[in-house]
Amino acid sequence: MSRHRITVVLSQAQGKHPAKRALEESIVAALLMEPGLEVSVIPHLYDLGPDHTGRRFLGSVRGDMVLLSWLFPRAAFWVLDRDGIKGQWGETQLKPPADDDEEETGEPQPAKGIGSLDVPDRTIYCLDLRDFNQHQPYVDEIRRVAEEGKVRAEAKQRERAPAPIVQLGLNLRNGDTPVADALGSPNGAPGSPNGAPGFTADQLLQAPGRRWYPVIDYSRCTNCMECIDFCLFGVYGVDEHERLNVENQDNCKKGCPACSRVCPEQAIMFPDYKTPAIAGAPIGAIGNLKIDLTKLFGGAEKDALSQAVEERDRELVADGRQAVGTAVGLPKRQEHKQEKPKDDLDNLIDALDALEL
Amino acid sequence: MNKPLTFMMGKFAAVLPADRRYCRNHMWCLQSDGVLRFGFTTYAVRLMQDVYFLDWEVNPGDALALNHKVGHIETSKAMSDLFAPIAGTLVRLNAELLNDPSAINVDNHGQGWLFEMTAVSDAETLSVQEYHDFLAAGWEKTQNMLKGHM
Ligand code: SF4
Ligand code: SF4
Repeated sequence: MSRHRITVVLSQAQGKHPAKRALEESIVAALLMEPGLEVSVIPHLYDLGPDHTGRRFLGSVRGDMVLLSWLFPRAAFWVLDRDGIKGQWGETQLKPPADDDEEETGEPQPAKGIGSLDVPDRTIYCLDLRDFNQHQPYVDEIRRVAEEGKVRAEAKQRERAPAPIVQLGLNLRNGDTPVADALGSPNGAPGSPNGAPGFTADQLLQAPGRRWYPVIDYSRCTNCMECIDFCLFGVYGVDEHERLNVENQDNCKKGCPACSRVCPEQAIMFPDYKTPAIAGAPIGAIGNLKIDLTKLFGGAEKDALSQAVEERDRELVADGRQAVGTAVGLPKRQEHKQEKPKDDLDNLIDALDALEL
Repeated sequence: MNKPLTFMMGKFAAVLPADRRYCRNHMWCLQSDGVLRFGFTTYAVRLMQDVYFLDWEVNPGDALALNHKVGHIETSKAMSDLFAPIAGTLVRLNAELLNDPSAINVDNHGQGWLFEMTAVSDAETLSVQEYHDFLAAGWEKTQNMLKGHM
């Protein structure tokens, strides 16, 4: 028999915001009533360092997973990917309360990025806890996702006939994660929050310090290396496949999002940054995305590039180094900018025009 | 009365009445009885769309420097901090808007006014022609900025 297991992980908000905590608690409480779910709670995903138990727990999860967090789904998904917790992108149907107009602008474009490597055959769904302030929509969506996963698993099973030895979805060879020794551990009672085998709630919830680093959306990144040229703090590098890699995450300057403004593909996210576009808001979802007009209304208009240069200079000076202005590492794409075909992002003004006032 | 000017934002015509002066932060400025009243220009409203939420961080009586942060606005399409368009003293905030900011969309040149200030000089403000030129000069950049945010 094939029982489809799905792991639900709730990543808490930073700080102790009472309304956020209340929502988190009511979701967990409601999910405990659902059969066939493993529910665990971890701190703010973005802050988890490699040694944090919550992160090791995430790494031990096999099979489909739903992650609820206070991050944009795109940001959460690629933070997981960077942490080696990979899967297929699970399309959620959870949408913030109808922003009625132009929902369809979010047509997925064919991925032009270099993508992720070694992606296992399982699906990860990321849900944004800022979309609703009640637990019900989340619970409904998780039910739907669980159902979808079951159908997918059954279809696969049929394909594979004759039926193979029952796969428990556990990778016993994976000795470097605690899951191997923790299998069947008594505190792993299914359905209890933080009932993750081998991980105690206290360990899972240990408060991490805040972190700040860029997260790459490889479905968009084209490996153009402009960010490497631009960043003068040694954050970026390339891996053994010559792919762009955020090598020294913690070299990045707290609060500085400069390189995300330089990336021509909007592939660099700072999940905790205040501007949605930089924090990983859905690309092309014009209806949901708030433009930050502060620069316009403050009387000082600056384009993204000069802002990036200014932000970088500020950090250089703070480090006791020389400001370099526009002299170093600026994109060469400026000259052929006009030739670029319009993509979703270029259509904002057109979209505004299409609206009836 | 002078004829209003029109600035074309793509296909959208933003009408700029000629009975008032303008500020670089996309507010209009109308003088009556020694106080200056400010509100959003049609250009600003067009970029923001429906106003959901308006919040002030200053109180009547506060002395404000030019570009001092005065509040925050959130709309269906955008959010922004708001800044003092000139240096002076805040006299009054439009209390009606706090209950229902929709007047900003419905009647941005009238009922949807934002606040009143007294100022030593309104030298910072622009004539309607100057504001029109300012918009024209910045339009390319503004579009790029909007795209850069998407
Ligand atoms: S600038 Fe953007 S697209 Fe280019 S390598 Fe860096 S992240 Fe990838
Ligand atoms: S934000 Fe600044 S320090 Fe951090 S990676 Fe980008 S350019 Fe480098």
